[in-house]
Amino acid sequence: MPDVLIADDSEFMRNLLREILEEDHDIVGEVENGVEAVETYKEKDPDLVMMDIVMPIRDGIEATDEIKTNNPEANVIMCTSVGQEEKMKEAVKAGADGYITKPFQKPSVMEAIEDVVPT
Amino acid sequence: MKVDIQSLGTFNRLAHEGAEEATAAMCQMTGLDAVVDVTKITLMDRDDIGEQLRDEEYVGVQFAFEGELAGDTVLVFDREGSRTIAESLIPGGGASDSMARSSVKEIGNIMMSGFIDGWADFLTATIEHSPPEYVEGTGEAILPDRRRPDSDDADDGDGADTSGQNTEQIFVFKSEIEWVGESVSFYIYMLPEYEPLAEVMGRHGQAQGDAIPVDKLQVFNEMTYDGTQRAADNVEMMTGIETEAEVSQLSFAPIEDVPKQVGTDTYVGTVVEFTGVPSGFLMVLFDEDSAVHIAEAMMPIEMDADGLTGQHKNAIEELGNIMTSGFVDGWANVLQTSVDHTPPRLVHDMGRAIVDPLAAQVGQHQEHAFIIDSEMRTDDIAFGAEIHALPNETELRQALDELLVDRADQTDADIEQIF
Amino acid sequence: MKVYDESSEDSETTTGSDRIKVGIAEYQVASGEVVLTTSGLGSCLGVAIYDRETKTAGLLHVMLPSKAESDGDNDAKFADSGIRELVDELEREGADRSNMVAKIAGGSDMLDFSENGSGIGDRNAEVGRRTLDQFDIPLEGEDVGGEHGRSLRLETATGDLTVKSANRESVTL
Repeated sequence: MPDVLIADDSEFMRNLLREILEEDHDIVGEVENGVEAVETYKEKDPDLVMMDIVMPIRDGIEATDEIKTNNPEANVIMCTSVGQEEKMKEAVKAGADGYITKPFQKPSVMEAIEDVVPT
Repeated sequence: MKVDIQSLGTFNRLAHEGAEEATAAMCQMTGLDAVVDVTKITLMDRDDIGEQLRDEEYVGVQFAFEGELAGDTVLVFDREGSRTIAESLIPGGGASDSMARSSVKEIGNIMMSGFIDGWADFLTATIEHSPPEYVEGTGEAILPDRRRPDSDDADDGDGADTSGQNTEQIFVFKSEIEWVGESVSFYIYMLPEYEPLAEVMGRHGQAQGDAIPVDKLQVFNEMTYDGTQRAADNVEMMTGIETEAEVSQLSFAPIEDVPKQVGTDTYVGTVVEFTGVPSGFLMVLFDEDSAVHIAEAMMPIEMDADGLTGQHKNAIEELGNIMTSGFVDGWANVLQTSVDHTPPRLVHDMGRAIVDPLAAQVGQHQEHAFIIDSEMRTDDIAFGAEIHALPNETELRQALDELLVDRADQTDADIEQIF
Repeated sequence: MKVYDESSEDSETTTGSDRIKVGIAEYQVASGEVVLTTSGLGSCLGVAIYDRETKTAGLLHVMLPSKAESDGDNDAKFADSGIRELVDELEREGADRSNMVAKIAGGSDMLDFSENGSGIGDRNAEVGRRTLDQFDIPLEGEDVGGEHGRSLRLETATGDLTVKSANRESVTL
């Protein structure tokens, strides 16, 4: 099963993602901000990161940029309530591989993951 | 047509002073005690005017006026208030309907003449008004022909209907007057026709840098309605509760009246600061019952605890976050820019105390403020949510300057195209 | 006999009621058996000043710390100019500065998004204290700061200031 790191400052959203993912994935970490996301990524080297954008201390786009700079092979899917075109372009520039907007349903999450990390 | 902030301030003060004079006249005649609580100028759909009146029974006095300004003005009392007035004018007068009616008509006439005269004096022009007409009705039906019969064919071509939607936005001056020590209120609505008012406003402003393009305010208001609808769609997706955007309006008021936009009840919700163009603060607020209800609808498992728990608050925090994005994303996409916001801060406090620190922060740089108010409701269960945004004036003006009216419907981003 | 006074520039008629509301950026002065109230203080500061001898009291609801730092010509909007106005008005109503004591409440940090320096709530309380000190009016009690809103009730007969909040017990200063 692929290893997944969840980065989201909302406990509610972390729980929701865990419920959706835990059947087919190993959740190797749940973090609340961009700094922790970068550190935990280095430590656990997961197959996939589900990354929120608006987080305290450091946002998800900056964290994605650093993860991708260190490891261009990393797989990062933005998982955010932000639906702004300019933000999506920034996410692409930072190297994001996919973009899911909240609120989401399980099938769209699975589909996005399948596109980025095919089983 | 551009209107500067100063002239909006002047018009607001004028309406407020008019309402105070009218109220003073009433107090003098009846010996009752009342104070003008809030006066604000609101840009909204003609069809939504009076939404605040809900389903109560009202009586009032209505005039048409014409001249430098044209339109209608109405003084609205709830039934209980009208009886109190009748009783104080003629002891025993509250008991008889016809006595109550003539008392209201008489006092309304005196109050509203003072109100109109104030405007005429300020404009150094004459404003004629029709004889007072006694009106009664339930809720917003008390207000005059809200759907103008000529609105279908009257295309004035001056941006009043830029979106092509079948709505008409107008400026409304509304004062809320409170009886001291009683729970009844009365209202003064002034509904001027858009064109003459915009012209008068334009004339009274100085053509300086701080002018706001009025037609773009209307477009902005429509974008806000779209944003509210998107936030309502998000609520529906997360909870399965069918939710509709109800009202969205843009008001202008002195900064110290801003906290009065929200009630004194306890609310639960989220607040963010947003930066970029526009910038400011955004609140998503639920009354406590709605908060518990909506949070439970979001949770996969049944809750057995009563009241608002930490888990409820977590759910509200995330819902507030998603509703906030739904609301501001449209602005960013139309303006082709990005609007960042802080992570949501959960609040659980008296409504006015929540708005107060935000008004103070905005009030460090400006004396008046625009307030964007939206509401959503559902018929199924008791559920209501309010979204209030308090933009900084400088960035709002910049946003309006940069707003391309043609792009007003481009509120959605196309993910497929980008990824 | 009850004596009612009314003070603010808005000159609202308050005669005939024993409860007087004080709005944001307003103050009211009264004596006798009257209750002055103000609600919804977040970062705003409520300042109560009371003359024990004449039993004259005033309540002020300010929004910002200092008139010099912001736009606006309404003195009652700012802690420094508002207190000055309130003291003047109390004196006009027969109160004596040497008998005056003060209590303050409000000035919370809730929803302060400023990233550096102290927030408006803190500064409101600080300027409030400093201005009272300049007038040699002793501060007898305060309930400031924290992250919650407050509503106030000042009894002119006793000078008691009751502070209420949404989710906590009331306190009387």
